[in-house]
Amino acid sequence: MKEMKMMLVDDEERFLSTTKKLLARKGHDVLTATSGPEALEMLREHNIHVVILDVKMPGMDGIAALKQIKRQYPMVEVIMLTGHATAESAVEGLKSGATDYLMKPTDIEELLGKAEEAFEKRKRLEEKIRVAQMRTLSGSPRDIIRETEEP
Amino acid sequence: MMKRIILSCMIGLPLVLLLSVLSISYYFFTHSIESATTASIVRIVEDHRDMIDTFLRERKADLAFILRSYTFKALSNPRELDAVFERLQEKSNTFVDLGVFNEAGLHVAYHGPYKLVGRVYREATWFKEVMKNGYYISDVFLGYRRLPHFVIAVGRQEGGKTWVIRATIDTYMFNHIVEGVHIGKTGEAYLLNAKGVFQTQRRSGGNLMAGDPEALELPESQSSTRTFMQKDSRGEKFLYATTWLREKNWLLVVRQEKSDAFKALYTATYLVLMVSVLGGAVIILAAFFLTGRIVSRIKRADTEKKDLGEQLIRASRLAELGEMAAGFAHEINNPLQIIRSEQALIEAILSDLKEAGGLKESKDLAELEDSLGQIRLQIDRCAKITQSILKFGRQSEPLLEDIDLRDYIPQVTAMISKKASVHGIKLVHDISEDSPLVNADPGQLQQVLMNLLNNAFDAIVSRHGSEGGELTVGVAPRDSEKVEIWVKDNGSGISPENLKKIFSPFFTTKPIGKGTGLGLSVCYGIIDSMGGTIEVASEKGVGATFTITLPAAG
Repeated sequence: MKEMKMMLVDDEERFLSTTKKLLARKGHDVLTATSGPEALEMLREHNIHVVILDVKMPGMDGIAALKQIKRQYPMVEVIMLTGHATAESAVEGLKSGATDYLMKPTDIEELLGKAEEAFEKRKRLEEKIRVAQMRTLSGSPRDIIRETEEP
Repeated sequence: MMKRIILSCMIGLPLVLLLSVLSISYYFFTHSIESATTASIVRIVEDHRDMIDTFLRERKADLAFILRSYTFKALSNPRELDAVFERLQEKSNTFVDLGVFNEAGLHVAYHGPYKLVGRVYREATWFKEVMKNGYYISDVFLGYRRLPHFVIAVGRQEGGKTWVIRATIDTYMFNHIVEGVHIGKTGEAYLLNAKGVFQTQRRSGGNLMAGDPEALELPESQSSTRTFMQKDSRGEKFLYATTWLREKNWLLVVRQEKSDAFKALYTATYLVLMVSVLGGAVIILAAFFLTGRIVSRIKRADTEKKDLGEQLIRASRLAELGEMAAGFAHEINNPLQIIRSEQALIEAILSDLKEAGGLKESKDLAELEDSLGQIRLQIDRCAKITQSILKFGRQSEPLLEDIDLRDYIPQVTAMISKKASVHGIKLVHDISEDSPLVNADPGQLQQVLMNLLNNAFDAIVSRHGSEGGELTVGVAPRDSEKVEIWVKDNGSGISPENLKKIFSPFFTTKPIGKGTGLGLSVCYGIIDSMGGTIEVASEKGVGATFTITLPAAG
């Protein structure tokens, strides 16, 4: 849980490869996908924390992909990357469960900043979940003792 | 061409109507006046004839009465004759004298101013006629006395012998009776004998016993009343009516100058002419005036139509351009993103190399870094442009609310009031209190107003510097469904050729890099999406007024 695992989804392969290299230089491991279905495939195989998702893609577009991701992997933080300057598509993305949005062309620092923010959010969320689980597991310290005594 | 058609219709139709009404009424009017005038002169001549006939008949009867009342012997006595004449004079003072004649024509007795007793008249025409017919009325003649007069003589059989009494009629009195006709100014009556000689004086000239200078063609004796027109020696036209007397072979003539007789006609003619000329003039003037107005109205309507057409074309072209530009900007953003990533990668590699000591500081390296920085800057610039284009092309749907402009406008202008005072610009509100609510997106409307206000600032500063600027923001209802907001400055104004392009995207007069030329086209798009319009009026060097029209709420 210490290392942020990101995935970039965009139909521009050169963007993916360059950004991957760039982020690798900054010490981040990045997965890439060129389409919505490929992104879902990757999510199944890897534990990914943050997805940066282009809104406009051929085939399954960003919004549809976002909905799928949030349905199947609700814990994954998604940042929308939009070519539109207006807030419209961003608003739509946020309503469908995106954590944040970025406008193209975006700085690598900005991208990274938002990704880290999202990761922090994810971490806080996981922490909360862990604490909550701990509570249900051990209603009182006695429970632990009882559990250990029983077998 | 159109002007000529309208003009000829507007002059022609009323003129034809006016002239036909005038000529029809003129025709019937003249006709009725002519027949009325003729009828009246005929009536006058006949009445007058009856009167003169009556006079002559009465005088004849007077004499006949004396003749029957007295014997020849009695009347031959001068004293008796004097008494009889006295009584006769009492009856009619037109008698001048009275004489008694025997069968041989000898003047037996006489009462009157002359010495005529003893004269013999056997051969005189009048005496012969009396002997033949029993009575005689003479033409006017001179006789022994050398004075114009006429006589009435009546004879009687007594004891196988005929005796005669004769009276002279005062021509002055008789003249008076005959002349006593007054019609108009020039109407006159006179008598002519069978030879066309004056038997009474004619007022307009024509002495007793002289020949008629007009030499009327005398009608057949005892024919009925005649009317005709004839010129006199001076060329004056006269309306004549003539009729023969019954008691004597004299022609009664009543005549009147035509211009006098038909005075009403001439007045009418004069009036008709005047009305025609004046009416015609009025029609022509009105036609010119109205045609001018109609033609200018039509021209204005044509221009307005053309303007509207141009506006529509401009609006649709703007919409198309917006769509195109947005698509274009969106497509540009993707490569731009890649360039930016590549640039960032190069920078990262360079700095890694430097850290690793693979690159020495050198002039070339500095230039490379400078160049990379420039690439970064230009990418930012492109990004700004594409973002403006996208804003212009893809206006988000306006979220309409009812806005009270009386509160809203001051709130918006408050944001720039400080900037205004810095530039020495007087900010004026002209907000009508009866401005209704408008239905608009407050955020977008603010964007538009700020854009207009900032443009106005630039224009004012470029003309006045920091003193003397004035900026008015006004609101007023235009009609029951629309409200106008105007932003008026006294800045440098906009030239006519720039006015045409002012809402076109990428049109700017600002220096390169200062403006994208999208501000006003974005404003246009925003106002259009709210169902309003935005217009501009300006004069170079005087100022500019932008007017937004928005639909009123409700």
